[in-house]
Amino acid sequence: MRKLLIIIPIVFLLSGCLTTPVKRKFPEVPQALLVSCPDLKQIETTDKLSEVIKVVSDNYGMYHECRIAVETWIEWYKTQKDIFDSVK
Amino acid sequence: MWLLSFLPDALLVWIINGVLLAGIVGTTVSVLFKLAIRWIPWIIPYRTLLLVSIVLLLAGVYFKGGLAIEQEWRARVRELEAKVALSEEQAKTANVKIEKVYIDKVKVVKDTQIVIQEKIKNVEVKIDSQCKVSSETIDILNEAAKRPEVKK
Repeated sequence: MRKLLIIIPIVFLLSGCLTTPVKRKFPEVPQALLVSCPDLKQIETTDKLSEVIKVVSDNYGMYHECRIAVETWIEWYKTQKDIFDSVK
Repeated sequence: MWLLSFLPDALLVWIINGVLLAGIVGTTVSVLFKLAIRWIPWIIPYRTLLLVSIVLLLAGVYFKGGLAIEQEWRARVRELEAKVALSEEQAKTANVKIEKVYIDKVKVVKDTQIVIQEKIKNVEVKIDSQCKVSSETIDILNEAAKRPEVKK
């Protein structure tokens, strides 16, 4: 009985740690940004310059879309980091 | 002290105050009425009462202090939880805004592409009559457009 009376308070006294109950979720990335940039289009065998220009201008368009995606990723990261860091 | 985190606030206060009160009463009774209790040992075992009372008093004082810290921590946790909830809401709102801007920008690129393709169609005959493209030119352009293989 006496041993028990000594052991129980000691157990309580030694259990001095505090858990961290606040959990944070990593923000979800917009689905539109989770698509890889496609490969550039290849030109079919032809001697027409107009066909070549069509494919080249399509490829330019794809580059611009990909650039926008990268810029958006950078903006997403900066914005989410600012929001994340604001919690202290 | 983490053991306290399993109990709700009201129950915790009630238990700790109870333990402290029992400790104070028990110790006071056993010290002040030492003689009276000694004379009637068959009613209350004096030494056990004193020992239990002191243990309860010490535990009560310890947990009373611990409770104040625990309540402070709980308040901070609640504050942090509110901030986290707000930041998660802000993150979702920011995501919607960023996605909308992205979609709008891509739409502008696609619309521009349509305009350019139309322009090409309009001058197609003129361009093709003035220039013939050699197969070597196409091969070079295709090679340049291929994704270079990078060894991992």
